[in-house]
Amino acid sequence: MKKSFVFMSTIYLALLGTAVVYYPQHVETAVIEDRAQLLPTQMKRITATTETNELQDLLNEAAKEDRVITLAGTQHSQGGQTLYPGGWLIDMKEYDEILAFDPTAQTLTVQSGATWSKIQEYIQPHGLALQVTQSQSIFTVGGTMSVHAHGRDLRYNALSESIESFRLLTADGTILDVSKDQHADYFQHVLGGYGLFGIILDVTLRLTEDELYVQQTAELDYQDYPEYFKEQVLENPEAKMHLARLSTAPDTFLKDMYVTNYLVALNQELRDDYAKLSEERIIAIPKFMLGVARYSDTGKDWFWDVQQTYSERLDGDLITRNNAMRSDSTFMDYESSSRTEVLQEYFVPIEQYVSYIDALREVLERHDINLLNITVRYVERNEDTVLNYATSDMFSLVLLIHQPLDEDSLAETDAAIEEMVATTLAHDGSYYLPYYQFPTRKQFKEAYPKWQSFQQFKEQADPEGRFQNLWYKEYFE
Amino acid sequence: MTPTLRQFIQFQSVIGMASAMIFPFYILLLRNVGDSYAQFGWAYGLFALSSALAYPWIGRLSDRVGDQRLLLVYSWGMALVLLVLPFLTDVWQIYIVQIVMGLLGAIGRNSEKTVLARVTTTDKAGKTIGNYHTVTGVAAAVAIIATGYLVDFLTIGALFFLASLLFASSAVMIHRIKKPLS
Ligand SMILES: Cc1cc2nc3c(=O)[nH]c(=O)nc-3n(C[C@H](O)[C@H](O)[C@H](O)COP(=O)(O)OP(=O)(O)OC[C@H]3O[C@@H](n4cnc5c(N)ncnc54)[C@H](O)[C@@H]3O)c2cc1C
Repeated sequence: MKKSFVFMSTIYLALLGTAVVYYPQHVETAVIEDRAQLLPTQMKRITATTETNELQDLLNEAAKEDRVITLAGTQHSQGGQTLYPGGWLIDMKEYDEILAFDPTAQTLTVQSGATWSKIQEYIQPHGLALQVTQSQSIFTVGGTMSVHAHGRDLRYNALSESIESFRLLTADGTILDVSKDQHADYFQHVLGGYGLFGIILDVTLRLTEDELYVQQTAELDYQDYPEYFKEQVLENPEAKMHLARLSTAPDTFLKDMYVTNYLVALNQELRDDYAKLSEERIIAIPKFMLGVARYSDTGKDWFWDVQQTYSERLDGDLITRNNAMRSDSTFMDYESSSRTEVLQEYFVPIEQYVSYIDALREVLERHDINLLNITVRYVERNEDTVLNYATSDMFSLVLLIHQPLDEDSLAETDAAIEEMVATTLAHDGSYYLPYYQFPTRKQFKEAYPKWQSFQQFKEQADPEGRFQNLWYKEYFE
Repeated sequence: MTPTLRQFIQFQSVIGMASAMIFPFYILLLRNVGDSYAQFGWAYGLFALSSALAYPWIGRLSDRVGDQRLLLVYSWGMALVLLVLPFLTDVWQIYIVQIVMGLLGAIGRNSEKTVLARVTTTDKAGKTIGNYHTVTGVAAAVAIIATGYLVDFLTIGALFFLASLLFASSAVMIHRIKKPLS
């Protein structure tokens, strides 16, 4: 018995270790299902293959059967942008082939269902990186273009600047070559167009060098942040990326901040030592801490302290551009059918930041919502898209809110968010559209004054309304 | 060798906790991997069928090799299967695991009954078995309630691995039994 005990225990522990180590990678590659828990919708899901003509056939068939089509990438948008009752959802995730790559010209042509992560794996060995993406690389190119996403980058202005051209399958079945010079009206509408003008087929992206950055972290008071940002970050040509956090812990609520800057490292020869793309790490610990923060105020104070200490420890650490664009995210996944986690994002001009935060704090103190995290980043003015949030140089604030799904809690959040959006608009700000439909129609129209020309173009480009989604229905119809 | 009643109640409580912990998430996993009720039905059917076909064979084996060995097979087997579960992505993998779990389940359930039969004296059987079910039932209930809280803090993978560790420790409990029932 003793021998078999030692034997079995050894084998077991070895297998347990292996399972624990490999599980995070497994989760990362698993296919992700619908996340829109707030809007469960009956639809037929159709998986696109890499064959473009099949998409054309599908479009014909939908026209014949008079069906509405929605388009879906990884479905991380949270306001019904990929959903429509009774419609056909075209899942673009497998339409993801890399079609052309020119390392010298630093361009890449890829089908729109590819994730940034897949592209990074392809270009990293050539010492190349992306220009503009979100802070994580889990999203698809098509989904990212359709929200006109932004991230930590400080120098490439906006996603639109890094899109050389793309092909679009329009509602009448024709394929257009779209760029800033060709079919420019489509360019302005499809970027930030929420899948309403056709299927983005393949996209030619502008790339850049993968650089080695040294992380610089600092703690400061929110009142000092705008000046600090302008002088130490924006005017420092060595600073290429930036990210800050604003405390949601009761002791330091909306006052304490810590920032992380990514400065070009002096010794670029070291880059290859750091170039390997990071895998999603074992997430048990951050997941546990976020769990504690969800439950109590003490938990939030503790979470903030831990985050701060962790950020200080990062000071001086080296990281490549590619890896700075693929931070962990699965620890935020939250499994529950009665509660979820929702995001909100507000944009406010740099000069208004301090008075805005004071006003926001006042709103939040009156409402009972469970705010877990606020991230602050920078977006530069960009007028390339019609539904444009970056109307001046702005700070963006992403709020992560823990949300029970019962009606009372939703109503409370609704009220709080309406007030937060009103406060944002009163400070010449705007809000981000991929998230849940809490803001009112009136607020939408105020934040996006060009909504009418967006709608006109939609009616002209897709008179039958083949491409639809719940978000459009909510705000336009 | 057969464990004492006390040892067996402890063992069975740990097993009950581990099973109760993962059950709802196992259902969720089946639902996510399969995409029709027919596949769901097949997964359960295979489990029941492999159990049923194994019972006669296991019954005879139990008298020959003893309860201790079979309980070890059950505990270690479950500990290993739970390490694999979070990695499954295809229906055929689920089918195979269901067959294996059907066999293990049959071994577990058969041994539960043979041990109870061997350790109870007939005149006190009612009381003993009632007592046995109370303790193991409470343990499972506590585990179910605790898991309700744990899911907010643990990943699904971590939950399965934790349950696997419980099964492994139940195996260790069986390994440590030296004296036969007096
Ligand atoms: C945890 C988290 C972190 C985030 N971080 C950031 C961030 O740092 N910066 C930021 O800007 N945003 C961020 N977002 C928002 C995110 O960028 C958007 O939700 C984005 O749309 C996600 O891409 P997706 O592939 O999941 O798109 P989906 O949600 O699948 O689709 C979004 C829209 O794109 C359309 N679409 C998708 N594919 C195509 C196609 N091939 N052709 C035409 N239309 C298409 C859909 O119809 C839909 O309207 C974050 C979201 C989450 C949940």
